[in-house]
Amino acid sequence: MKPADNDIKKAFRQLEIPEPSETAKNKAVRKATDEFVKINITGAKKTKGFQEFLRRMGKIFQTLITMKGEPIMTQRQFATLGIMVIAFGLILSIGPQVFYSSKTVVDKAGPQSHQTAEIDRELPDGRQPGNAKNDKPETTVLPSKEQTAAQKTKDFLADTKTEMHKNVPGEMRQEEPLAVMQAPAPSSEKAAGKGYTAMLSEMASGSVRGRRALESDDGYGYPSLEYYQDAGRDKFAVITLNPVRLAGEEPVSTFSIDVDTASYAFVRRQLNSGLLPQKDAVRVEELINYFDYDYPVPQDRVQPFQPTVALYPTPWNSNTKLLHIGIKGYDIVPTGKPRSNLVFLLDISGSMNSPDKLPLLKNSFAMLVDSLSPDDTVAIVVYAGASGTVLEPTKVKEKGKILASLDKLSAGGSTAGGEGIRLAYTLAEMNFDEEAVNRVILATDGDFNVGITNQNELKSFIERKRATGIFLSVLGFGQGNYNDALMQALAQNGNGNAAYIDNLNEARKVLVDEACSTLFTIAKDVKIQIEFNPARVHDYRLIGYETRLLKREDFNNDKVDAGDVGSGHTVTAIYEITPVESGKKLIDDLRYRKTPQKPKVDAGDEYAFLKIRYKLPGEDASKLIAIPVTTEQEFDTIAKTPEDMRFAAAVAAFGQVLRNAQYTGDFSYDDILQLAEPARGRDQFGYRTEFLNLVRLAKTAKAM
Amino acid sequence: MKNCTDMELIDKAQSGDHLSFAALADRHYMTVYRYAFRWCRSQEDAEDITQEVFIKLAGKINLFDKRSLFTTWLYRITANCAKDYTRKNNRWTKNKLPELPDNEVTASPNPGPENNVIARNILDVIGKLPKKQKEAVLLVYAEGMNHKEAAQIIGCAETTVSWRLFQAKRQLKKVLS
Repeated sequence: MKPADNDIKKAFRQLEIPEPSETAKNKAVRKATDEFVKINITGAKKTKGFQEFLRRMGKIFQTLITMKGEPIMTQRQFATLGIMVIAFGLILSIGPQVFYSSKTVVDKAGPQSHQTAEIDRELPDGRQPGNAKNDKPETTVLPSKEQTAAQKTKDFLADTKTEMHKNVPGEMRQEEPLAVMQAPAPSSEKAAGKGYTAMLSEMASGSVRGRRALESDDGYGYPSLEYYQDAGRDKFAVITLNPVRLAGEEPVSTFSIDVDTASYAFVRRQLNSGLLPQKDAVRVEELINYFDYDYPVPQDRVQPFQPTVALYPTPWNSNTKLLHIGIKGYDIVPTGKPRSNLVFLLDISGSMNSPDKLPLLKNSFAMLVDSLSPDDTVAIVVYAGASGTVLEPTKVKEKGKILASLDKLSAGGSTAGGEGIRLAYTLAEMNFDEEAVNRVILATDGDFNVGITNQNELKSFIERKRATGIFLSVLGFGQGNYNDALMQALAQNGNGNAAYIDNLNEARKVLVDEACSTLFTIAKDVKIQIEFNPARVHDYRLIGYETRLLKREDFNNDKVDAGDVGSGHTVTAIYEITPVESGKKLIDDLRYRKTPQKPKVDAGDEYAFLKIRYKLPGEDASKLIAIPVTTEQEFDTIAKTPEDMRFAAAVAAFGQVLRNAQYTGDFSYDDILQLAEPARGRDQFGYRTEFLNLVRLAKTAKAM
Repeated sequence: MKNCTDMELIDKAQSGDHLSFAALADRHYMTVYRYAFRWCRSQEDAEDITQEVFIKLAGKINLFDKRSLFTTWLYRITANCAKDYTRKNNRWTKNKLPELPDNEVTASPNPGPENNVIARNILDVIGKLPKKQKEAVLLVYAEGMNHKEAAQIIGCAETTVSWRLFQAKRQLKKVLS
């Protein structure tokens, strides 16, 4: 008699299964997670998928050969048989040197496209399968040639590694400690062994011990989680240099002012680590505007700033001149500071878990809180996988409470930046004070990957909120995964400014020394329009401000948003112009058209006419300032030019040289040093000296 | 994360959250380990197989399309890993280790306290069944699945499962009688 089903079941019930050792379990979970991270970061999955494909083919071969025991060929086997036939055809068509029967009638395109489809299917969403083409067709070796296949797979892996996709989803992320502890298995070793997840949570709270626990192990050679560092995934908007324009054809140039300094700090950070920044990270106007220039200060708030204009010879081109436009905002006397209603919106996602991010962020904000006055209110909203209010709006009087909640933050989880922004605005609205400065200060590495992740959607949300009178400042942290493009977009659309915090000094500069200008806007939507006089200026070029250009008609349209000037801010813009009498012009004169017509007004000594439009905070109608740029404002040699302007020119040159020096000829780093060194001035905080150091560093820095 | 369902964890893991993946692996470790142990009857090997399963899972989680139960899918990986493991192990050990003597007492490394000789014999015979039959027996009699579920996991027709079980039982009968 056959044993009854129950007997077999009983037998299995009687089989005693020993508890797996906790160590083995941790090891398994860890290795699998490592593999998971690896695949999600390097896109090694492609290769995996391909191996899987090979494996499956091998299996079918096997099935075909043995073909015994199984009465039915299942649907699945039938499908894989189809794939096998296709793959076989592929081998025939691409390997004529191996298979002499290369004249086979198999259609070449067919199998190849099938193969690509097979690989494509293995990719997770959003990853471009495009480089499946890189996959050398010869990799389709028969399973018996495992050795070579493995080698090629390795090469392929190396290929794919270099080509990191922007939207690779998983970088190192940690989750809230409470969320992880799972570990159901009771074990005798439990006291000794620590659950893997427990270790992770320890890592999340930044404990060195936790990290070490992860690193030290059996020497299997698997890289630990910490090994996966983001690199080279900083995102910057692509900048196309402003072209040279003929004053005769397009005499008018319009742009919005920009007071951001993020680019300078990022460039500094890169140079300090011995690397040249990527081209698009260098925004020349932000480099120039990083420094404070000593322009005349306006007398009152009614006309909140006064333009300073000068012309001087271009240091890097003897045939052209620089037209320097400087603006200094009215400085609110510290006693007259309005109250502030601030909402700190802090990114505490896993990607912020590095010493130059969250810890720096905490210190920076603690510094800011210290400098606020007791009547100001502060609220703290954080976001990671989800967002939440950490601190309800609290008066700075209760400083201890604010600092304590700052201190408690730890990083973990994904980044629902969109949701966080919403929550922060809601809080700011709740506590809205017409008299006060209402501002959301967002601190992040810019990696928004949950919630509203669409840039345009975020932008339009912030744009709408701008109308309610709540401003947005964006502080960037970290490197490697820094999404500058998004942060710029947010700041520009949110009536705000963007700064990049690479160290505590920078935090002090932005949040304490320049807190007034960062926080108190004295004029908004500041636009500059300049009309060149073709009788004097042959061609012109705006240095920097590529991301801030406006259309000519936007200037008078008060609905069009533009940059804001804070209390005491200085803003500088520089044009390189070629005078008509110059011997060597950047653009040749036309042969068939007459030279520019006579100007309508007699403006013999006018180079250009400068117009500035601005709105006072809380007003919707713009005001206009207009001044001519005449020969009176011209300096004939560089030596006679004021220090500040020489220094600005040096910074402009530096930015352009970093960006490939399209217009600066052979002006070298040494020339920049020579120009900047004597122009350092008083340099109270040492920023200019630091600039000189950066130029020296740039001389020896390597490209990525 | 403790309270997340499998599907929630999978969703997160598929969007790249490695912690969710770790939690998922942690949660299902015992299921996989139990199957692996029944398959190879050695704690060490079972732990190896289980590790292999989760490493595989890491590479495949993105392919899981949620049309079937996660556990069904996981069993499929487990069953395949177990078979692969035996294949690999046979290759390595065939020439190195002498075949264990056909002794009923030593065949089971962990005989346990039970006095039921029949049960032990049954298990020993199952241990030596051809892989495909063994797989079917394990899924149906040890994991308590019906033939349809087992067929889904193995990737064959329901009748095939029944057929394999029939063969297995015939073999058992031959040995036990």
